[in-house]
Amino acid sequence: MSPIAFLLTQGLNALALGALLFFISIGLTLIFGIMRIVNFAHGALYMLGAYAGFTLAAGTGHYWTALVAAPVLVAAVGLALEFTVLRPLYRREPGAFLLVTFGLALVIGEAIRLAWGPEPRRLAIPAVLGGSVSVAGEPFPVYRLFLAGFGLAMVLALWQFLERSRLGLLIRATAQNAEMVHVLGVNVRWVRAGVFALGCGLAALGGVLATPLVTAYLGMGVNVIVEAFVIVIIGGMGSFLGSVVGSLLVGVVQTFGNFYLPDSALAAIYLAMIAVLVWRPRGLFGREE
Amino acid sequence: MAWGLALIGVAAVAPLVLPVFLVTTATEVMILALFALSLDLLVGYTGLDSFGHAAAYGLGAYTASLLLLHAGSPLPVAVGLAAAATALVAVPMGWLCTRTTGVSFAMLTLAFAQLLYAVAYKWQSVTGGSDGLAGVPRMAGPFGVTWFTSRTGYYYLVAVCLAASYAFCRAFVASPVGTTLLAIRDHERKAEALGYNARAYKLAAFVAASFFGGLAGALYAPFAGFASPELFFWIVSGQVLIMVIVGGSGTLIGPMFGAAFFLLLEHYLSAVTDSWALVLGLIFIAVVIFVPEGLYGLVRRRPPAVARSRPAPEREHGQPVP
Repeated sequence: MSPIAFLLTQGLNALALGALLFFISIGLTLIFGIMRIVNFAHGALYMLGAYAGFTLAAGTGHYWTALVAAPVLVAAVGLALEFTVLRPLYRREPGAFLLVTFGLALVIGEAIRLAWGPEPRRLAIPAVLGGSVSVAGEPFPVYRLFLAGFGLAMVLALWQFLERSRLGLLIRATAQNAEMVHVLGVNVRWVRAGVFALGCGLAALGGVLATPLVTAYLGMGVNVIVEAFVIVIIGGMGSFLGSVVGSLLVGVVQTFGNFYLPDSALAAIYLAMIAVLVWRPRGLFGREE
Repeated sequence: MAWGLALIGVAAVAPLVLPVFLVTTATEVMILALFALSLDLLVGYTGLDSFGHAAAYGLGAYTASLLLLHAGSPLPVAVGLAAAATALVAVPMGWLCTRTTGVSFAMLTLAFAQLLYAVAYKWQSVTGGSDGLAGVPRMAGPFGVTWFTSRTGYYYLVAVCLAASYAFCRAFVASPVGTTLLAIRDHERKAEALGYNARAYKLAAFVAASFFGGLAGALYAPFAGFASPELFFWIVSGQVLIMVIVGGSGTLIGPMFGAAFFLLLEHYLSAVTDSWALVLGLIFIAVVIFVPEGLYGLVRRRPPAVARSRPAPEREHGQPVP
């Protein structure tokens, strides 16, 4: 394999992985930005998305139905959780929130085990995205190309949504100064509930997209939440750009690390995180508070 | 005080009258109680919610196992060295983790524990990989002492360790260092304005908590006879946090009862349902929402002087609107 082909295919792999990680970390970071809390249950909701996606795809026979319906379903679950369990906690310190969402992670994970059983679930790649194409003379799976492209499109779409739309303006304003937005007559509660649901939906989207590659398995939630935590620590809590850059960085380090040092790729990510922490405790793009 | 003496009396007589399997259960309860006690130093008294306390537990267990298996160290020496080694590793780890506070601290501690989990899983030649280290012996000695190698003897060894640790922690939180930690927990900026180096104090609490967490792990490995990567797993970190919160953080006593409550509930529930984790999670959520002071705090019926009655955080921009 020529060096260029190698760089190109591994780069695309990194981009595909980064895209998957972005769907998780952006939800965490959006929710943190607007509520100043970390949703520990985010990984569990990602897992719920993966399992729901599996069942929906198996039931309807269409991958695309699952890709749309599972995130909507999980967003609804998120909305319900926000209304019932989380809302009474806004006045408490952030620690209480972390603890309750941790409890939710346990409960959701256990509920999934009861509902779907312990064995992993496979989801076939849709026919359109099956097979491979030639990238610089080397075969490359179409599905990963799709992931990379879809991820990039979502980054741009979310960015435009936050920067250009009126709703995005409200979200950014609420993240900056919720009291002022409240005084100006906006129903901040709904903004918060909406962002929480959006974050959960994005996590589920990541779950459905990841299932054809890694299958849906118990424990995928924890693995992903730890990676997402590392990303937001590197990128900076609450920063959109930080989430994008952090996801890409972890995607690149993991992909190339897996190739060069298969046993210590994980350590490389942690070393990157430690370096960032020593250099900038608030992350690359985190703001001083 | 009278209660304490009575408890010591009960603990001393218990193995003589209890059936054998209950002695084993009581030993396990005490090990978990020590583990929960150690985390309370961080969660209850320093206001740092660690989601990676399993790191200390696993480090203690693996160090003790390696010493017992390969160095042939006498049990008390291995356990003491393992706790000290855990505290030593906790210094750089705590130095990094205390660079952050609040949720970042929680995420970072979780990340470190998961890293150690991965290391224990992959470093086959030292840690035995996914199988872990099996057949951890209770080596006799030094000076030909053997009483702690039996089931009942081990019970007493753990009881003594727990009592000594509790006495130390009680003195620690009442000491000037302990009261400074409370001040930092309740209002870090104010404490810093008064001239206290908050980070140094938090690091001290982190190392102390890791020492006793490591001690608990070191006692667990020869008790169970093995050390496995699961000891580092996030579930373990979460479970000990549940013991602390459900029992009542910031009380030292509460978390120990939380550990007993947890283990007995697990034994009872796993006999009637195969999803005891679900029930446990629901209980945990209910306690955090409705009884933030924990069950022990509830029993005392008044807000404990030092329990998690933290004032609302300083309001900043972006704080939730009521």
